[in-house]
Amino acid sequence: MTSGWDAGVVSHRALRGIRRELDRHPAVVTAEGFPATLHSEVVAELSASTLDAAVTATEPTLTVRWFAGECPAAPPEFSFHYSDRHGDFGWHYAPNSHVDGRGHYQERLDGGSYTYTSHEFDSTEPTRVVWIVLSLVEDRLATWPD
Amino acid sequence: MTEGQPGVSRWVEETTAFDRVQSVATALSTPASAAEVATEAAVAENTARAHLDRLVEMNVLRSTDRDGSTVYAPDPLHTRVQTLRDLLSAHDHDGLLALQAQLRERVEGWREEFGVDDPSTLRATATDTAAETRRRREAAAEWETTAHRLSVVTEAVENYETYTRDPVSAR
Repeated sequence: MTSGWDAGVVSHRALRGIRRELDRHPAVVTAEGFPATLHSEVVAELSASTLDAAVTATEPTLTVRWFAGECPAAPPEFSFHYSDRHGDFGWHYAPNSHVDGRGHYQERLDGGSYTYTSHEFDSTEPTRVVWIVLSLVEDRLATWPD
Repeated sequence: MTEGQPGVSRWVEETTAFDRVQSVATALSTPASAAEVATEAAVAENTARAHLDRLVEMNVLRSTDRDGSTVYAPDPLHTRVQTLRDLLSAHDHDGLLALQAQLRERVEGWREEFGVDDPSTLRATATDTAAETRRRREAAAEWETTAHRLSVVTEAVENYETYTRDPVSAR
């Protein structure tokens, strides 16, 4: 631990902010810390007018994990991962052997293997990223199987 | 301002400038200037500065000087009190004790599994494979978050009577 730096505190703050922004987003029904009150991740149930009824029926959820780096200079690692009965996809920011750099998108359908593509985040500020990723989720769901 | 992205323009439509400035500032990992917060929160710099200064007055943030200009950071005490309030709203004393036991069990689990006493030591342990190194980094990160959570839960347990005293009935 670097003097004055507590990654647990910083991660906790980020997850609180993420949960608050998820609660504010019209596509989110509920956002809960999970496991209960431990808040190592936040799980949001998605629905509402921004997703069409066919998608809503597949029990869509978004699971968010966020960990601060081990020192102030180290980047965070995070993931925003959507899943429903058809498959799952998400935007991640962490080292991954399938892509160069940290930012990437991964997806799998019907129990198949993941495909990976690089993705550049314009920000790693947790509350801003919530809104950017939910917009990307909505775009992807426009052509997702019903 | 950077509202060009669809998600950010939606954020601007659905929330106030104050909401966004507060959200960005209270989740900062390192101190930031009003200009930096303004960019992330999609507000004008002067707007950001006014809201940030108000949040400092409210003890939500702290400000300090960095190379001649003001930077802002979350007040750790404010965040801790908010977390304590959430915990005390969600759990009675027995519930807090159960949560404390659950968190301690997780920490003990990592200690036993990896044979180290703290997450920073775990991060430093070398392994043969990239996958195992990654697993240890992830466990260390979860351990850090859990350790923080445990410290707040323990404070809630130890001060339960004081923190749950009803201010309305108090004379």
